Amino acid sequence: MFVYAATDTPFRDACARLMLALGRGQVNGRTSSAVLEEVWHLELSGRVRGLEGLAARTHALMRPVLLVTDEVIERAFAIHAPRLGANDRFHAATCSVNAITKIVTADTDFDGLEGLDRVDPLDAVGVDRLLAE
Amino acid sequence: MFSERLQILVTREQRRHLEEQAGRLGVSVGKVVRDAIDETLGAATPAARLRAAEEIVAMEAVFVAPEELERILEEERERPFSALLDERSAP
Repeated sequence: MFVYAATDTPFRDACARLMLALGRGQVNGRTSSAVLEEVWHLELSGRVRGLEGLAARTHALMRPVLLVTDEVIERAFAIHAPRLGANDRFHAATCSVNAITKIVTADTDFDGLEGLDRVDPLDAVGVDRLLAE
Repeated sequence: MFSERLQILVTREQRRHLEEQAGRLGVSVGKVVRDAIDETLGAATPAARLRAAEEIVAMEAVFVAPEELERILEEERERPFSALLDERSAP
């Protein structure tokens, strides 16, 4: 979501609304150190033009971030989802430990996880529905 | 380590909220209180938060499809960071 909110395309509109709602404190959203690592990794790679400064801004917006604790790691080990990679398991487990039931991500690998509904940041209708809750 | 003891009074309703949240998360009431302290005092100011959001939506990064973002992440994780630095310093 953070990457698409920073992207100069029509896809950004819904993400931008969500981002500004977070900035104004109108919605309650959290992110984790593992997500921040991914954003920063993309930024530092230089392979997506125009992301300079996104990780620091994301941190400024979302701090304090949720941490990948021992409890999160143990919960991640227990997730049964063959398609889900290690970092994605950390994301899902972070949600589970913190009683978060909705995740905003374009990654379809999160579909079908028990107790976690995915909202696609590129789906304006879905994002607006989330904002209306 | 927790070395400081803090004794506070709360309302019956606040205590009920704390116990409900602790029960929901399966943690102690003490942890809920500690997390709430971190959350309140570790957060950015409202002005800084809004500024960060406005700066993000003003960026003009190029669009990359979700599958491509995943692929870039996977490839970059496998690459030593020193290789990235070498590429950047190359003429």
